[in-house]
Amino acid sequence: MHPPINNLITRDAIHRSVYADKDIFDLEMERIFEKTWVFIGHSEEIREEGDYKTTYIGRHPIIVSRLADGGITALINRCRHRGPIVCQHELGNSKHFRCPYHSWTYNNAGRLIGVPMPQGYGRSFDKNALGLAKVPRVAQYQGFIFGCMSEDGPTLEEYLGGITKFLDAYVATSPTGKIELFEGMQKAGYNGNWKYQLENGVDPYHVGSLHASSVTQEAMLIYYQGAGCVIAMDGHGVTDHTDWGPMPVDAGLSGGFNLVIFPNLVVLRSQIRTIRPIAVDRTEIYTRVVKLQNVPEEVNLRRLRDQEFEFGAAGTFYTDDIEIFERTQEGLQSGAVDWLVFARGLDREEMRNGYMTGNMSDETQHRGMYQNWKKWMTGDASSSSAIGAE
Amino acid sequence: MIVERPEIEDFLYREARLLDTQKFEEWFNLFTDDAIYWVPAGRDDIDPSRHVSIIHDDKTAMAKRIKRLRSGFAYAQDPQSRVHRLISNVELGAADDVDQTIEVSCMMLLIELSRHRQTLHSARCEFTLDRSSGDWRLRRKKVNLLRNGEVLENTPFLI
Repeated sequence: MHPPINNLITRDAIHRSVYADKDIFDLEMERIFEKTWVFIGHSEEIREEGDYKTTYIGRHPIIVSRLADGGITALINRCRHRGPIVCQHELGNSKHFRCPYHSWTYNNAGRLIGVPMPQGYGRSFDKNALGLAKVPRVAQYQGFIFGCMSEDGPTLEEYLGGITKFLDAYVATSPTGKIELFEGMQKAGYNGNWKYQLENGVDPYHVGSLHASSVTQEAMLIYYQGAGCVIAMDGHGVTDHTDWGPMPVDAGLSGGFNLVIFPNLVVLRSQIRTIRPIAVDRTEIYTRVVKLQNVPEEVNLRRLRDQEFEFGAAGTFYTDDIEIFERTQEGLQSGAVDWLVFARGLDREEMRNGYMTGNMSDETQHRGMYQNWKKWMTGDASSSSAIGAE
Repeated sequence: MIVERPEIEDFLYREARLLDTQKFEEWFNLFTDDAIYWVPAGRDDIDPSRHVSIIHDDKTAMAKRIKRLRSGFAYAQDPQSRVHRLISNVELGAADDVDQTIEVSCMMLLIELSRHRQTLHSARCEFTLDRSSGDWRLRRKKVNLLRNGEVLENTPFLI
């Protein structure tokens, strides 16, 4: 049994149950993944009319489709009759989805358009009321598509806050202002909590240590001598190296910024990483590789080869990250000490441009994300359950 | 060009054994300078200039990968994975008399043990073998994992 949610995050420490308690995970699925804006794809993945991709919002299987009018819709991938998923492909193009069980058929806007032998259901049967359930809100910013399972709450732009400026800068790396994606994905799984990836995506402090086998001296200079900073930005995390110049087109380690957009998106260098929480101790990571427009082909190819070498399930950097995520989950089985230390930089962080900002190796950005976590986990009294914020 | 089947099989077994016994430098020396070591992602027949791969190393990248594994700081390989490779269904393809190369394919069953977890990989491997310098060397190694489209557990070892 974990302590009340309110007591799990202090000014400088986090309780281990945040990572290790199954009930907390269940609450996260409800209070975070069904309330916040969750990243569900990039517009380049569904460029043409009828294009779709399947993904997840928390535990909900989702189909994201490009409609005839150019708009985007996100549907719950679950037949309204008996419940099978109606689409089992990762990507594709289709104007309708048919559940093979009893051939109930929906168009890609979710409307139920075909039911065999409908007379058997009697007069009260209303096909209009039996379309695929819709994700209540879908919005995009700079091509990044988000879905929100709640009708209420901030708009996407309000939710992203200052991060919009960084997403603007990210796509501006491409000379046309638009990014593309290489085909395919890097997919990796680990036996550990999903939030390790949130922390790790904006954690300059670990780079020289955990990645000692791979990081170059040149890159380490950024971390030790750079004028960059870490920022707690509207509940999201930023490491900003921009004093070293804008995001470099070669996506090298020596510039740019890392973004962790709560709760499931990591944008850094040439990658867009989606976090899929499966269980308190199981997470999957899906990574797309970003291609720039109007740059020499060898520039894009270098980005791809570097990304493959360093990231993904066989990457020289990422394998050590996954390793430490699994070791952490093992270590946190021990309740001998309940608290993890998140105090780095507390004495030297300061407000800059309206955001709490720390030195390059500080943990200001982590503290900001966990205050956000606490806000969502305690914020909605209507969804409190037996194990709620007692 | 006359190629005897046993010499090809011996070569493939040796390549597998060098990796199983962590003789990475000897394994590296099997490859020609222009070699490619490739593990596609998603499916077997991708275009690696348009589609992401799990591994797509030239010899420079291979050298860096091995240097990392030998650095003492490759934490995902502390302790090192123990790996057994079974090679089977060897088939000799087209030989090129001018280049002194031959295409070879085989099936590989790879069993890896790390973090007390045993992981099974089945793959169809494709090789371009090159005898232009006297001994057989590898110009291309391509590993088509059965699960190349799936979520993979940590794969920090050489496949």
